[in-house]
Amino acid sequence: MTSRGTPSRFLRSVLQNGVGRYVCQLKRISIIFSKKAQSSLGIRDFIEEGVVDYAKKNPGTVVYVSPQSCRIPKIVAEYLNGNVREELVTNKTAPQISELLTKLTDQSGLDIIRIRKPFHTDNPSIQGQWHPFTNRPPTIGPIRPQKQDAP
Amino acid sequence: MASGYILSRGALTFGSHCQRVCRNVSLSQVREKKRWMKAYTYLMARKLKLEGPPPPKPRSLQPLWDYHAEVQAFSTRLHENFSQELLKTAFVNPCYVQAEQERRRPLLDVNSETIALVLNDNVQLSAKGACFAQSFLADWCRASFPSLPSEGVESIVGHLTSSEVVCYLARNLGIEELTMSAEFPVPDDVLYSTFMAVVGALQESSGAERAGFFLRDFVVTQLIGKDLFDMWKVVNPMGLLVEELTKRNVSLPEPRLIRSAGASTVLPLYFVGLYSDKKLLAQGPGETLVAAEEEAARVALRKLYGYNENRRPLDFSPQPQQHEQPLIQSVNSN
Repeated sequence: MTSRGTPSRFLRSVLQNGVGRYVCQLKRISIIFSKKAQSSLGIRDFIEEGVVDYAKKNPGTVVYVSPQSCRIPKIVAEYLNGNVREELVTNKTAPQISELLTKLTDQSGLDIIRIRKPFHTDNPSIQGQWHPFTNRPPTIGPIRPQKQDAP
Repeated sequence: MASGYILSRGALTFGSHCQRVCRNVSLSQVREKKRWMKAYTYLMARKLKLEGPPPPKPRSLQPLWDYHAEVQAFSTRLHENFSQELLKTAFVNPCYVQAEQERRRPLLDVNSETIALVLNDNVQLSAKGACFAQSFLADWCRASFPSLPSEGVESIVGHLTSSEVVCYLARNLGIEELTMSAEFPVPDDVLYSTFMAVVGALQESSGAERAGFFLRDFVVTQLIGKDLFDMWKVVNPMGLLVEELTKRNVSLPEPRLIRSAGASTVLPLYFVGLYSDKKLLAQGPGETLVAAEEEAARVALRKLYGYNENRRPLDFSPQPQQHEQPLIQSVNSN
């Protein structure tokens, strides 16, 4: 599929976040893992070492730790705008998981799709939008096709 | 005849036997071969098609939910010091209290003391918050756009406190999940009163200044990129411009066609300039002369009110932190 066919959006933030004050957009994180399974070894390590530090560092995020009998441990992140992201953490080590959590915390929760332009402005240009008469003295008169002097 | 009978009977028994064998083979349960899965999936798909998707479930009824922690995280996330009791009261709507009392009525006869509901609803907080929001936003508008008339201020405040904007804010601040409402999804009016109650609770717990900053940071930022005349419906901008100019003792505007292109095509373009005292007030484009004149009047009004498109951006610089001052004082005293 060409890039034109893929879903896209413009660069934006939720509720003009950061204009007034910055609000961490991650509201809830649930860590679902198994007490016995081999695949959740790394996340068990992380829960022993780093999860309390993470929760202390981010008081605006509610952290739920729920041991269940599951083969695939996962991290479910819920954002303020209602989006929910599930990240599978099978066979990941504790530093990798901590990195992933940092990434989830910093994200805004908007869909991760192609962004059409890497910049955005809320204040239009000082000159105003371009039109055929921009920078054209009013004495010249109506716009006509230009005379072609060259043969 | 007899032989034929025997034959047919034999064929019958053979057939039935064969069938039984086949059935035995097909229905025998083999380990890890989920033969029931296909029928089950089809059934579930059919059920989904007939009944539609299940109704949405509030987050509070889904697993992993701790109301106290959520409320606490809500206040820290917004960098505000809410009093927890007030904030919890702000989320309780009268419709929820009523529904809960209805639900508990049959149980009341058994032991009335333990099941009796002790909950304050947010009516007072909501009224207080709505009143404060109205007055604060009106003051803010008057301070930021000093030359805007009172109708314009009213319409800006009306836009900012409209149910649409407030509900959008509440949904993106995570208020919807914490709201205690009788119905789900939460109706717009309930969400509106909850947001206003949160503002009221903030005003009661940390004072009017913090509540003002809260409103400025979350409500007023919705003005960014919004045009004045999207919020304020002016039917006759030329009449308003004439009024404004007579108030300021400036001579009346004279519309002049300054530029035009493609007048005989399907996409004509006219530029009308408004001159007052031989000075160009504003110019505006349009597809017809009337539309261009109206647009020019709107541009002139925007310039008069200080709401033109290329004005300075509004000031949303962060307020000084509360914790810094005592720190500095303690350092000085040391």
